[in-house]
Amino acid sequence: MPKILLEAQDIHVNYGAIQALAGFSLKLMENEIVSVIGANGAGKSTFMNALMGMVKVSKGDIFLDGYPLSSKNYKVVRSGLALVPEGRRVFAPLTVEENLRIGAFTRKETADLQEDYDWVFSLFPILKERLNQYAGTLSGGEQQMLAIARALMARPRVLLLDEPSLGLAPIIIREIFRELKRVNEQGVSILLVEQNARQALLLSHRAYVLQTGRLLKEGLSKDLLEDKDIKAAYLGQSA
Amino acid sequence: MAFTFSTFIQQVINGLSLGSVYALIAVGYSLVYSILLFSNFAHGGFLVVGGYACYYLLTQWGYGVSVSMFGALIASGITAVITERLAYKPIRERTSLTLYLLIASMGVNIIIENLFVVTVGGRIRALPQNTFPTGVFSLWGGVTLSASDILSLVTAVIFLGLLQVFLNRTRWGLAIRAAACDIRTAGLMGVNVTFLISLVFFVAGVLAAVGGIFLSVRYSLYPQLGSITTKAFIAAVIGGLGSLPGAVVGSLILGLAEMLTAGFISSQMRDLVVYSLLVIMLLIRPAGFFGKEISEKI
Ligand SMILES: Nc1ncnc2c1ncn2[C@@H]1O[C@H](COP(=O)(O)OP(=O)(O)OP(=O)(O)O)[C@@H](O)[C@H]1O
Ligand SMILES: [Mg+2]
Repeated sequence: MPKILLEAQDIHVNYGAIQALAGFSLKLMENEIVSVIGANGAGKSTFMNALMGMVKVSKGDIFLDGYPLSSKNYKVVRSGLALVPEGRRVFAPLTVEENLRIGAFTRKETADLQEDYDWVFSLFPILKERLNQYAGTLSGGEQQMLAIARALMARPRVLLLDEPSLGLAPIIIREIFRELKRVNEQGVSILLVEQNARQALLLSHRAYVLQTGRLLKEGLSKDLLEDKDIKAAYLGQSA
Repeated sequence: MAFTFSTFIQQVINGLSLGSVYALIAVGYSLVYSILLFSNFAHGGFLVVGGYACYYLLTQWGYGVSVSMFGALIASGITAVITERLAYKPIRERTSLTLYLLIASMGVNIIIENLFVVTVGGRIRALPQNTFPTGVFSLWGGVTLSASDILSLVTAVIFLGLLQVFLNRTRWGLAIRAAACDIRTAGLMGVNVTFLISLVFFVAGVLAAVGGIFLSVRYSLYPQLGSITTKAFIAAVIGGLGSLPGAVVGSLILGLAEMLTAGFISSQMRDLVVYSLLVIMLLIRPAGFFGKEISEKI
């Protein structure tokens, strides 16, 4: 019986009068990859930000290992969640090396980060070549790799990714998703949010379909890939 | 000709000395601006707190120079942190419009100024004679270099150097540089952003106090002394708000421009030149020498 790692129950988030999440629940097991798919404005980023303590949850609970998760952003990171935000958001005026170092901010001052650098370079070797370059000078794909590597430097138990495929060429997307699978095989649970439903469903074990702040459907990813409605609504146009 | 040349050297020395004091103040402005994107006009108030703290530690409590200076830096740093907590944080939590912060900072400046008027009075004070070395060295052709010029230059170099080391060599320094780029994402790295902002205000307050003490020595101490920070603010704008090297370069340019004007044209023209420089800069290059282009900010 796999253990529940992260659980969100009945999450509500409002932006003024707009209700972005109206009672969404989700479970992530240890070592699992779960994806949340949904169209523009479905509330995917809002959900990620709610987990990270970046937006206020008006109702609902979040548990990690069965204990309530802090609503303070920096405490959430310390307890083992790391988000790769939508649009990558690398620190452009800092070097690649500095971006990775700030990713390790929550680690002990004395921690030896060499092993972590070796790990992220084994996933994305290009970063090693770009180490002293400013992050702003990297290509979009390289920036996404850096954003993922930066999150991994925190040694998270749950890696959260908000649309990592956004604006990238299919070949780069495949490379990144392949490395995410390797990250997961090394014991990191992954929660992935995507508009690119096909890629997300191919990578994940289970998936949730979010529609205007509510759950539309959930199930095994391989079943959803074959689901008639999902095919029509979400798999039609995506690569 | 010889007279003119020695005047020139003399005014360059004076200009660098004044510019170094501006730099200490301007860097504090820029540091806060780089994180919160507003011009903190209470900075002048922090400076006045530093000046008075130093004055009272020296004269009333009879501490030595180093203890008094240290106490002044801490007092000003703490004032800055408290100001942020009481006046700015509640606003930051309600709105992302920085205009409100700007207005609040003007209010805080008036409050601090008037607290001193009410409590210690508006009269002009001087730090005791023997506080700092007062020697004057004659160079050649009548050019003189005073110990206080040397001291303010050396102090500015030391403090700005320390700031540079802090920003470039420490964990929190890196976090501050990351936050200057994107504060939300810095939070995602596990940085306690509330603490980081306090830290930035503390550092800015400390630097303001150093500037305040030097200004009290150069001129004198009175509740409105903080208004001199307008010059440092202009220096920061000319250098490019948010850029620390820009703040230093802008300050030196301003100090030199003021003193050369005073030496060759007339002392009354100083401010006219300063504001002309500001207007010209805003017309030609609104982002300042080292400022980020608007597109980079988004
Ligand atoms: N800061 C905000 N203020 C007001 N409304 C917001 C804010 N952020 C999001 N919303 C609204 O909340 C809803 C959900 O937005 P969210 O960004 O979570 O969607 P999303 O699923 O991530 O979309 P996308 O695929 O475009 O990234 C949308 O209707 C959006 O307009
Ligand atoms: Mg989104």
